Amino acid sequence: MIALLAAALLAATPHAPQREASEPLPPEQEARVQLLGKQLRCAVCQGLSIADSPSSMARAQLDTVRSLVKEGKTDQEIFDYFIARYGEWALLAPPAHGFNWIVWAGPALILVLGAFIISRLVRTGPEPSQASKEAAPPSGPPKQDAAEAEDPYLAAVRAELKK
Amino acid sequence: MKGMKLWATVAAAAACAALIWVMAANFGKDPHEVPFMLSGKPAPAFTVDEIGSGQSRTLASYAGKPLVVNFWASWCEPCKAEHPVLEWGARNFASQASFIGVVFEDTEDNAKDFLQRNGQAFPQMLDSTGRMAVDYGCSGVPETYFIDAKGTILTKHIGPIDPRTLADYIRKLSSPQPAPSASDNP
Repeated sequence: MIALLAAALLAATPHAPQREASEPLPPEQEARVQLLGKQLRCAVCQGLSIADSPSSMARAQLDTVRSLVKEGKTDQEIFDYFIARYGEWALLAPPAHGFNWIVWAGPALILVLGAFIISRLVRTGPEPSQASKEAAPPSGPPKQDAAEAEDPYLAAVRAELKK
Repeated sequence: MKGMKLWATVAAAAACAALIWVMAANFGKDPHEVPFMLSGKPAPAFTVDEIGSGQSRTLASYAGKPLVVNFWASWCEPCKAEHPVLEWGARNFASQASFIGVVFEDTEDNAKDFLQRNGQAFPQMLDSTGRMAVDYGCSGVPETYFIDAKGTILTKHIGPIDPRTLADYIRKLSSPQPAPSASDNP
């Protein structure tokens, strides 16, 4: 009953009828279509490529790629076709030029900066804390003697041994 | 160590400034808005079949007069809402501009049924492959394109159009002005 109701509800809801995609090209050309499709953004989806999206819009865009490949256009000409209509937004990977360099070089720069900071910290060692600075005498006896002077049990043992 | 601290502070300040700049530059923008690059550019040629007569129509068929192209589909609720506005516009501004509807992502039968129920005051075409929509940089339905008498795209309106906006664009088409830099949202 619930399934019937759900089916009736689905049938009553307006939806985009899914038309069939255009005929695939010969394997080599079709592989190129799919590869190009993976790099182009679907106009109605959230970050999906036109090769991965099931939407009608993506199918129309992929069909357009197919017909452009069939017409003998180069990869760059096909990218240019989409850029001319949707801007560089149409490309899933921003081209490495101008301001886009920040996107490409940013992670590497952050890694290098982090490595530099860590190496500097390792080389110089941890900074002494304020408390230990105050506790340590400016030019006192060696650390071992100071520790013994502070420890009454150790002093007692030493006195016993001297007897 | 002091020099390093200064460097770290400068780097952090630069990173914060860059972040603030990016956020300020994009504040108020719709992150889902699809850019439209064809404003001020020649309208792409098209060949589509008219629903009903089945005759082929091309962009050249409408040369010499401003053209309003509306992409729509029968399953699209906003398209249903704007249909009376376009019907009114096609009748009211018939002397100033030609109107055509382009059915996209839909079947001819669905479109015919829709037009029978809601009226048809201007020619309707079927973009069966979706090629015309992609050629025009369409990013969904409804979208309305305004093309001047010389065949240059003035702009496109995304979403259902209202009578005042439609009248404003028709006025702009009649007295050409520099094309707006970006597409507008409803």
